[in-house]
Amino acid sequence: MGIGIEVVGLFKYFGSVAAVNDISFSVKEQEFYSLLGPSGCGKTTTLRCIAGLEQPSKGSIKIGDRVMSSASEGICIPPEKRGIGMVFQNYAVWPHMNVEQNISYPLRITKVPSEKVRDRVNEVMDMLKLTGLGKRFPSELSGGQQQRVALGRALSIKPAIMLLDEPLSNLDAKLREQMRFELKDLQRNTGIAILYVTHDQVEAMAMSDRVAIMKDGVIIQEGKPLDIYKNPKEKFVADFIGTTNFIECDVIGSSASSTDIRLESGSTFTVPEATDIRGRCTLALRPEDIELSAEGTDGFEAEVEVGIFLGNVIDYRIKIGNSKLRVQSTVATMFRPGDKVRAKVGRVVLFN
Amino acid sequence: MSSPNGKLTARESNALDMRYVFLALTGALFVGIIVYPLYHVLAKSFVSGSGLSLANYVKVFSNPTNFKALWNSIWMSATTSVIAMVAGTSLALFVIRTDIPCKNLLRIMLLMPYAIPPFIGAIAWTQLFGPAGYISKAYINLFGSYDVPWNIYSTGGIVLVMAMYQFPVVFITVSGALGRLDPSFEEASRMSGANAFKTMRDVTIPLVMPSIMAGTLLAFVGAISNFGIPALLGFRARFYVLTTRIYSALAIPDMPLATAMAVLLAITAGAALFVQIKFEKGQSRYTVISGKSVRPQTISLGKWRMPIFFMVVAVSLFASIVPMASMLLTSVLKYWGAPIKLSNLTLKHFSYVFNLEMARRALKNSFILAVLAATVTMALGAVVSYMSVKAKMKAAVVLDIVGTFPYAVPCTVIAIAMILAWSKPPIMLYGTLWIMLAAYLVRYMPFSIRTTRATLQQIHSSLEEAARMSGAGWLQTMRHIVVPLIKPGLIAGWILVFMPAFRELTMSVLLWSQGNETIGVVIYNMQDAGNTQIAAAISSIVLLLILVGNVIVRKVSKGQVGL
Repeated sequence: MGIGIEVVGLFKYFGSVAAVNDISFSVKEQEFYSLLGPSGCGKTTTLRCIAGLEQPSKGSIKIGDRVMSSASEGICIPPEKRGIGMVFQNYAVWPHMNVEQNISYPLRITKVPSEKVRDRVNEVMDMLKLTGLGKRFPSELSGGQQQRVALGRALSIKPAIMLLDEPLSNLDAKLREQMRFELKDLQRNTGIAILYVTHDQVEAMAMSDRVAIMKDGVIIQEGKPLDIYKNPKEKFVADFIGTTNFIECDVIGSSASSTDIRLESGSTFTVPEATDIRGRCTLALRPEDIELSAEGTDGFEAEVEVGIFLGNVIDYRIKIGNSKLRVQSTVATMFRPGDKVRAKVGRVVLFN
Repeated sequence: MSSPNGKLTARESNALDMRYVFLALTGALFVGIIVYPLYHVLAKSFVSGSGLSLANYVKVFSNPTNFKALWNSIWMSATTSVIAMVAGTSLALFVIRTDIPCKNLLRIMLLMPYAIPPFIGAIAWTQLFGPAGYISKAYINLFGSYDVPWNIYSTGGIVLVMAMYQFPVVFITVSGALGRLDPSFEEASRMSGANAFKTMRDVTIPLVMPSIMAGTLLAFVGAISNFGIPALLGFRARFYVLTTRIYSALAIPDMPLATAMAVLLAITAGAALFVQIKFEKGQSRYTVISGKSVRPQTISLGKWRMPIFFMVVAVSLFASIVPMASMLLTSVLKYWGAPIKLSNLTLKHFSYVFNLEMARRALKNSFILAVLAATVTMALGAVVSYMSVKAKMKAAVVLDIVGTFPYAVPCTVIAIAMILAWSKPPIMLYGTLWIMLAAYLVRYMPFSIRTTRATLQQIHSSLEEAARMSGAGWLQTMRHIVVPLIKPGLIAGWILVFMPAFRELTMSVLLWSQGNETIGVVIYNMQDAGNTQIAAAISSIVLLLILVGNVIVRKVSKGQVGL
């Protein structure tokens, strides 16, 4: 083990459109790394370049210390020589082969002796809870089972690297949640480096050691899930990761540890963040970082428009002037529509 | 580590070059066998004497018989297609959208005439409704009259028999569209307060109208391109259409006239197909993409249920089972016109056929031609489709179009093209078996490209990519994944070319020569010469083979494909 991926200055053009526009990142050994972004952001193209299914227009890709693609040196190793496991979005389990044949194919194609093939297939099937299904054909399997077969096929050669292209998007919500844990466990137990592509931020947050947020073919921000959540570098990231309220406001003063802000409604308050921004800006507020109380002087005054009891939290929509904010409160008392409340702001992020 | 990398890259690019070599060879072949002959027809039609002129066309329009043939072709096909439209559409609505019993059986029975070669159907109808036909005689016995109030050898007879063999086209197109129609359109209409019949009138039929029109135009093209029915039923009545006039012009031989009429035929059929494609595209706006969906409620026919059922059964019986039974009966009767009883049955016509040198030769010729035509077209079709669908090569898309184009060219025109292109040095095929092979290749290339394309499109490219990621090279991926997955499609496609090629008539009848007869030609000549029972015996053998072939195709394709 102990092999990672290194992507440097990757470009991929389709005609004149740059699907991937100068991307560099590295996946460390045994790391779970996710490319996260809306559809069309270039994440799948990046993955396919690493797999060798697309030829990069520019840039280089290294796996371990082996150069897999290098546009400048004219190298592009065909996918079958890269020794990578891959799970496709639609599973791509071959319909004319049974479970065993599907899982053992990568071993058979590399001429592994048949008794070793059998042992490894059994081992993989046990690990993925497919025991007893070996002779079944894909058409006789549920979506979740097909998913496991696809995983098993990718794992059978014990690859150091595994690429997963939105593997959970075709599963129902419950199964998806369960598979998240299983994938994470699998990665911990096997010590494989996983590059995971998804548009589902919850999925990426739940499993990844690090996440790269992509948009329009570039990486906008890279880091640990919690860091990205707490410190989104751009409005796009704040919007894409979790739920965020955006309010237009003015910075009217600041100190080393706090900033004074005036909302359009005229009310002013202080937030515990320092900033260089002056004048007009956008305030990003997480719904759970706003605390409502019936009285007090902290924060600003607002009016409750509607509150929905969700069990663990109460989901409010409150009004300040013309803008509406979402608030998730864990406070036991429930405000009613029309109630005047004080909204105390915890963490905020300011954007130009 | 970098030197082996370099080598692999080189090998990869070699594989890519090989694909272009494949493609270039196929392209050259297409130009040779498709483009060159078809271009010849157009060019030759404008040549008269020594220079370019419109003389051949002037000849067509100045001779009233020729002009009449064009007019006959058009109105005969138009009448046929209107009947086919009404019959095909109402049958589709009955079978797909009402509570009529035995739906699946009816569907299969209504598709059966599609598998029967029209000229064999025409022969069977003369046996049934001709002057000494089974039904004619039954009518005379029943009513004690001396004559029957109908004549199968007439324009009416041609239109009726033609409609029998063209309505399945409308039926297939419309029932396909009904099956793919998003049921929520109809459910919304019911929820808006419309009853079942109003829903059908205001929603269902308007929504499948593009398919109804497309099917009707296909029936028009099928009718105008057909030779067997107007030849077997029309010559006696002196009713000529373009295909039969071209046949006569070639017998004179007046090649320039035949060529000019062929161009007119091609233009008429081509125009109809052009409009048909527009309608087909229009229909795709209303179809559900994701295949299966909940069927909407069927319309209850109430007290009309059984009468309509029997009517549909009667139509399907007369279109397929009755002609086939008549054919078989004729082939085992001691003599034509013999009373039908056990002592009058014999197998002597079959033993005569099997001992007839010409019939055996024709069987062999047709078999060889059909095997070669099916094998070569499927191989080329698979290459072209793979390159255009999977490898997404632009040059292959051009080949795809070139190879599919002959679909719009009536068989008679293809035959004329073959004579023009291959009866002069350096390539002299006229007078040999191979000119028919050349014609079959042109004719069936579109079918092969279409079936291979459809088969390949069903295979998601990730199935191939998964093999590459598993360590398989391009060739191994082909061998282990692509070929096994498309094999049922290829086999079904092969048989779907083999069967119509085996009993082909329209082209063969213009291209055959002594010693190079095909089975279709022998049946036609036997019937034409009055050897009804010999023709019936050979036709029965052909029908049996078609039946067997159909069963195999259905098995191989798991019921998805059939004639």
